[in-house]
This record gives sequence, C-alpha cells and structure tokens, in this order.
Amino acid sequence: MKRLLAILAIAMASPLAAGAHDFTSGTMYIDHPMIQEAPPGARVLGGYVTLHNQGAEDDRLVGIETPAAEKVELHRSTVTDGIARMQPMTDGLPLPAGEIVWLGDNGTHAMFVQPDKRYAAGDELPATLIFEKAGRIDITFKVEERSTDLAPGHGEHPQ
Amino acid sequence: MKKSGILHNVRIVLWALVAVAAVAATYFTVVPRERSLDQGVAFYSTPFKLTNHDGAEVTQSDFLGKPSAWFYGFTQCPEVCPTTLAEMSQLLDALGPDADKLNVVFVSVDPERDTVEVMKDYVAYFDQRIVGVTGELEAVSAMATARYVYFEKIPLDGGDYTMEHSANVQLADADGYFFGTLDGEEPVETRLAKLRRLIE
Repeated sequence: MKRLLAILAIAMASPLAAGAHDFTSGTMYIDHPMIQEAPPGARVLGGYVTLHNQGAEDDRLVGIETPAAEKVELHRSTVTDGIARMQPMTDGLPLPAGEIVWLGDNGTHAMFVQPDKRYAAGDELPATLIFEKAGRIDITFKVEERSTDLAPGHGEHPQ
Repeated sequence: MKKSGILHNVRIVLWALVAVAAVAATYFTVVPRERSLDQGVAFYSTPFKLTNHDGAEVTQSDFLGKPSAWFYGFTQCPEVCPTTLAEMSQLLDALGPDADKLNVVFVSVDPERDTVEVMKDYVAYFDQRIVGVTGELEAVSAMATARYVYFEKIPLDGGDYTMEHSANVQLADADGYFFGTLDGEEPVETRLAKLRRLIE
C-alpha cells in the first residue's frame, strides 16, 4: 500500500515536474523562471519567477541582469478605473522570511527591454537574479507560449 | 348658456389632446425605433485619417457598415495589450464564421515608436483578422478625444517612457454609435455574449 501511494505520488507530481525547472542557492529557492513568448517586433519581454525565501531573514529581489537584453526592469502593471498603467518597482520585490512570492502576482513582472533577438517558445535566456542578502544567483529563463491568464485584470490569476 | 359654451370648448380641447395622444402612441409603438433616443452622437463616425498595418490610408468610413471592436494600446506593453489581443483572437475564433461580421482594430497610442512595420508583425502574431492602425500623433490624439479614450505618455528613468491608456475594448455599431465595452475582468462568456449582441 505504501508503495502504491509512492507510485501515485510520483505519477501525480510528474506532469508538473516535466515543464518546470528550479534553482537553489543557500536558502533561496527559485522555481520556474519563465518568459512569455512575445510577438515579432515587440521590444519587450515579460518574465516571471517564483521565489521561496527559506531563510530566517527577510530578503528582497532588487534587480535582474542578462546579457540577452539591454536591461531588465521590475514593474507592476495595474488596471484601475479602466486605465492600464505600469509602474517601476523602485524598492524591488520584498521576500519575507519563509514565504513564497510569485513575481507575476498582482501584475508584477520583469520587463526585458530590447532583447538581442526574437525569442520564441523553447528558447532560453541566461540571467542573474540580484538579492539584497542572498546576493547574485545565475539562472535560466525558459521562453514559453503565451498564455492569456497573466495580465492584471484578465481572468483568474494563478496563486 | 355661457357655461355650456365653456364646457363645449373644454370638450374640444380634451378631444384634441386624445387625438394627439393617440397619434403619439401609434408613432411610438408602430414606427420601429432603431435605437434609444439618448444614444447621442455617433462618435465612431468622427472623421480621421490614419494608416493601417499595410501602410494604406484608412478613414472612419473603412470601419463603418459593420460593427467594430477597438482597442487602444502600444506594442511595448508587456502584459495588458498582448493579453487583450490574444483574447480578442480567441473571441473571434469562438464567433466562428460570424467573426466576418465584425471589424477588430488595434490603434497604437504610441505611434512614435509603433511604425507600420512594427504594427504589421505585431498584429499578425495575434490574428490576421485584427487591423493595426497607427499614424501621426496628433491624428491619433484627435481620434482618442472624439471617442473618450484616454492615453498619456509617462516618462521613465533613463529617458525612456511608457504609456497609460484606456484598458477596455470599445464597441461601435455599423453606424458608428457607441455600443459598450469589453472589460478584461469580466468572464470571456460575457464578452462573447456582448459581441454576439453587437453583430446580431
């Protein structure tokens, strides 16, 4: 019975594991850094990542660097009273101790400005996440097909 | 004698009023009414001259004669605009052959960066049925003003800028009368029902 449960657990987990990729450095767990495929000609890409600060101290994502784009900015898109706005997250993304934070929640995203080429689903972009305390961690963003449920005010948000 | 004369006059006036009421009632019930009286100006028929994503000049009349759905955004918009356009494409698919009864137009509120070439590639990525429109900034501004659409350039650090803009899709009927909006927060089924009502 125990063995059956174990097999079931693996079977249930595998569809999730198939497309996901993750990184760990110290107490920072970085899951599924992804970029939405953008239309040709678009000079910006939207990037998303789940961050789990497993340490005892609060931390903060303060920036992202990549050789594949001119720059990367942390932004928050909002739709308020029918107006779409975008604001830079000047203080970065807070990562309280022990909490799982999704860059992508509430319209937050990393905006890759002027990528060096057109990135299509399946491509990868090397990048460095810069944390206030955890320091610099090298990761890879995977480009995925566009999904319609990421933008603020559009359908259900993945929690 | 005088009293009955007054009564007679009152009777004539009353019967006249009955006649007016009868004519009015017939008019309001029998004569078909295209639209409610308070619909106001057909502001989607306000003249403009802009350029489509093939580089051809387009005017208001190119989008009249059929109902239309309009979205005002910009290509350097990482979330709201691509999501709205992707959803418009899904809605067109859901309409099936009826999608031909609708014009879908994406107007750039950042015409300084959104050239014809940029618009062509961008729009084609989402749906061949969506028409991209750009042009002179003044012409786009005039169109937006006539249609109660908001947009504004917001400077960012380092000399760059972003755009704030109305996030809804605006609907207009075949004569250019405002018909309503599609909101990104309402269920896709609601938006589809609105489009069906528009093209009926």
